Amino acid sequence: MSVPIEVSLLAIREELVAARQYATAAGLQLDADPVEAGEPRFSVTFMNSQSESFIAEFHCADYPMYPPTVEFVNRDRSERGTPRLYPQGFHPTPCICMRYNRKAYSERGGPHSDWRLLDWRLPTGNAHGIDSLALMISDLHSKILESKGRLG
Amino acid sequence: MIENHPGHHHGPAIVHLRVQTPRGIWTMTEPPDAAKRPEYPVTTKIERVIEDVRSVFKFIENDSKYTLMRGTERLDPQRTLESYKIEDETLLILSVQGGNA
Repeated sequence: MSVPIEVSLLAIREELVAARQYATAAGLQLDADPVEAGEPRFSVTFMNSQSESFIAEFHCADYPMYPPTVEFVNRDRSERGTPRLYPQGFHPTPCICMRYNRKAYSERGGPHSDWRLLDWRLPTGNAHGIDSLALMISDLHSKILESKGRLG
Repeated sequence: MIENHPGHHHGPAIVHLRVQTPRGIWTMTEPPDAAKRPEYPVTTKIERVIEDVRSVFKFIENDSKYTLMRGTERLDPQRTLESYKIEDETLLILSVQGGNA
């Protein structure tokens, strides 16, 4: 089952309003040019506590039925998902090990065989369910700000 | 500008804040149906602001981590607004961190 790209783009554009407000207030750079060009992806540049930058790309095919694939990439997108692109403290797979990341699910090669993609909005434990693009950005913002250095 | 209650020379100064959250901004006018407004004596602790903004935007889960920030500076919940020299109309950010898998 898949979501028509027009539906995904509509949902992404709607949610990007709040996501952009949050990113702007937090001093994060949000690049949504691909969305405006009709591609369901955008990126956010985060800084850790040592002012090192990390670029997370959100690939949102089939959103909002399924969560995005969130991956750290380099500036020119020639490298993605390598340990040195990850902040210290993230899952050593490497992976952003959260329900909102499609890469975390075993059916996509991730460590979680106990999660179902359709349930991606569920909370982990008794914490808040990360169920919107703005909340995903806030979650990563908080975690990366607490980290020092790189995974590899 | 920090209000000092005209005509009164006692009591702490009052500040009006703006708090951006992943669900929207909290100001003296937004969201329109907010039950509380971000108006505080400068002696208010940061933890009180966090409690209030969580209630306005219904961030009810206690196991999430809620942090109030000014730019990249994380504000200690036990300190007061005054101790950070927070002024009227300062923009703060509530970051919400979900649980770790």
